[in-house]
Parts: sequence; structure tokens; C-alpha cells
Amino acid sequence: MKTDVLIIGGGPAGLSAAIETASRGLDVTIVDEASKLGGQLNQQTQALRPLPSVHEPMRGFELADKLIEQVKGFNVRPLLNHRVVGFYADGSAGITDEENVFPVKAKKIIVASGAAEKAVAFPKWTLPGIMTIGAAQTLINRDFVMPGREAVIVGSSDFAMETAIQLMDVGIRVKAIIEKQNGALAKEQEKVSELSRNGIPFYFNSFIREARGNGQVAQIDIELPDEVITLNVDLICMDGGRAPILDVFYQLGCSFGFQEELGGWVPQYSNTFQTDREDVFIAGNAAGISTQGPLLLTGMIAGISVSEELQAISPAEANEIRDAIWKELGLLECKEVYTGRVKHLENFTSPVLKDQFIS
Amino acid sequence: MHIEKHPVLGRQLHTPVTIYFNDQPYQAYTQQSVAAALMANEIKKLGVSRKLVQSRGLFCSRGRCCSCYMTIDGEDHVRSCMTEVEDGMRIYPNMDDPEVRREIDED
Repeated sequence: MKTDVLIIGGGPAGLSAAIETASRGLDVTIVDEASKLGGQLNQQTQALRPLPSVHEPMRGFELADKLIEQVKGFNVRPLLNHRVVGFYADGSAGITDEENVFPVKAKKIIVASGAAEKAVAFPKWTLPGIMTIGAAQTLINRDFVMPGREAVIVGSSDFAMETAIQLMDVGIRVKAIIEKQNGALAKEQEKVSELSRNGIPFYFNSFIREARGNGQVAQIDIELPDEVITLNVDLICMDGGRAPILDVFYQLGCSFGFQEELGGWVPQYSNTFQTDREDVFIAGNAAGISTQGPLLLTGMIAGISVSEELQAISPAEANEIRDAIWKELGLLECKEVYTGRVKHLENFTSPVLKDQFIS
Repeated sequence: MHIEKHPVLGRQLHTPVTIYFNDQPYQAYTQQSVAAALMANEIKKLGVSRKLVQSRGLFCSRGRCCSCYMTIDGEDHVRSCMTEVEDGMRIYPNMDDPEVRREIDED
């Protein structure tokens, strides 16, 4: 199979890159291992803000539907339930439908592989009933299943607070929010207040000392600053933060840098979102953990850059649009993340890891 | 427990199917993942770990952690969080290393 642009990952960044390229007449293929485009937006019932100026405020799944609808109007071929498993010597991507592997030869590749949630380790943290906040959110909003009845949340980021509220809304009793720092980390304080108003205790400077249960979690000990308390719970949702998913970049031999504000190891890229492999571009959480609005903008930048390389748009026009999107990114993105991103760009020519897999 | 009426998304569970876990029938709905459908039926332990033989269940629900491997319709080590239920599906917990099937070309 041949295509102009292969986009790996059909989440918000991948879809906005698809819209930018396909709307300029390019032939686009999106590969995603889920059965539906939209990525994690599909199970986000919270209102998203801030979004780029082209979108009115809406909830995550509404944005997913809108982007999917837009893509349908163009020459975009979605390969759902498919995964990239490697690359051939000629640069073709090896894509599997879980049965056979076939090559896809693309002129340009945009990798929007997203991010993975990290775990918070404590004794017996692997018991069933202990999961990431994202998993709990997926169960209630995608699968319509109660992941448990009595829960605690480990962590207090915006994502954790949103999920806590969504758990409560379907009738799960949130017994405590456990945070190892001395205050809530969420930037949107109204969510913290909403949970407090509902009588949910926040335990700061605290952590889970141990979980117990026979075959599944039933009880936990929480170490508070001056005592240890025991709670009966059948669900622990942990928020260990997120890190970019890098597998494909390793396989492509891209260079890497380490940027704490972007989530740790991140492929190096320039301000056009081109990696040090000229045919490979990057977008979304893979290029640094951010919120949904900025993720759309990074996808747009990658899409514009690829359109420019494939001569679907003039360099002058590309520069003009890119500058405008970068400006909006600076306004929308959390200051800390944006500063980290700018720092990361500066290291493009001097990556920490390069040619680490010489075979 | 299935969420029949979601506070934001409303009623979306329309088509019930029967799945079999350890040969026992359970009710699920199309569009649910195997792991989620089992959790709705109070089955949280989906298998055991390979080395220490400890209980394992759904952890990331994104197909990345491989904690939810199960045997589905005769195939071992299937990620149950990424597989949608089908009527009559036969599901067994992941208790062992997979059987590696290999077709030998006789020609």
C-alpha cells in the first residue's frame, strides 16, 4: 500500500494533522490500534478548555466526534484495530491487523503515538481493582461499567480531580484523595473545592503503605503524617503522571532529549515538528505532555510542515500559518510546559541520545 | 455492574450478548471490552502473573500494560481490554505461558 502521509495514532493530534494535510489534497492513512478514531477524547466527559479559537467550548467526546466528522470529508483512510510493529529497510511501515503484517510506503510519517500513564508503586499495587485513573475513566465512560463501589484516588492533578468527580457522578463512593505533596496539585481549584464540598477528605503528605486482598484489593493502609489509617476499598485509581510513548521513535532511530516539563524522554524536534529523520514528524503528547487544546495545535503544525514538504502549500504560506499557530500555542499552553518545549527545541542539534541502537 | 443510565452520556447499552468465562454464561453488551464486561460481572481477577503467580486484573485499559491477558476463543495472550465482546465468546483466565502456534509450510 502507498500513501502520501502515514499518521500513526488517531487521537486529537493525529486527527488535526490529518485535517491539515488531507484538506490540501494529500492522500492520508491513519493507523490506530483502537476500534474508533478520537483516542482518549472518546471517554472524556469533562468540558475541555482552553481549546484553539477555531473550536467552541465542548466536552472531550464531542470534540472527538467533530474531528472524526471533519476527517470523513477528505481523502483519509483509517486503519482501525491496526498497529505499527516495525519498519522495513526501505522505510515502509510494517502494519499488522493482528493476523498478517503488510508494508505501507509513505512519503512522510507523522507520529502521534500519545502518552502512557505511569504507575505509583506500593506493596501489592498489582492487585486487581488497582488501576490508573485513565482506566477507571474508560470503564465508566466507554464501557459503561462500574470499576468498583468504594474508591480512593492517589494523586491530585487536574486529571485525577476530573476523574474523581466522574466516579462520584455514576455513584461510586470516593473515600479519600491521597497526595504525597503538601497540597492539591490541580490547577483548576474549583474541582478541588467541589470535591471538598462533597465531604471527600484530602490526605496531604500521605501515601499508601500497603494494599491487601485475596485475589483483588479489599483494604488499604494509608500513612498520614502522624497516624496510619485503614480503609476498606475495592478500587484504587492511581495518577502517576504520563510519559510520551516512544516505541516507534526508537524503531525509527530518532534522537532524544530529556525534558522534565514535557514528561521525561522526548524525541528531539525542530519548530516545524520535524524530527532528526527528515521524513518523520511528531505531534501531540508524544512531543511532550500537554492539554487537549495545545495537542490539537501541535498536530496542526506537523500537518502544515508535511504539506509544505510535499508541496501542497508554499513555504511562505506555511511559515505564516505556523507562526500564527505557535503564537496561539504560547497563549494556550500551560506556561511551564511551553517553556520546556522551547528549551527542548533549542537542543535539537545537540540531542542527549543519538544513534543509540547501532546494529 | 453495568451503567444502564450514564449521567452525561445517557443510555448506550442496547444490544445484550452472552459471553462465557470458565464456561459460565455472563451478560455483556456489544461495544464493551472483554475485561470491562467481566468486571461488570464482578470478575476482577483475569489471570495470574507469569513468575510469581500473583493475581492480575485490568490496569491501564489502553492495551499497553498487558496485565489483562486472557485466552479468548482459543487464542492465548489476547489483551482483553482492547477486544470487544461478541456473542458466544469463550473466555478463560491467563494462567500460563501461551501456546505458541506455528504453521509449518509443507510445500
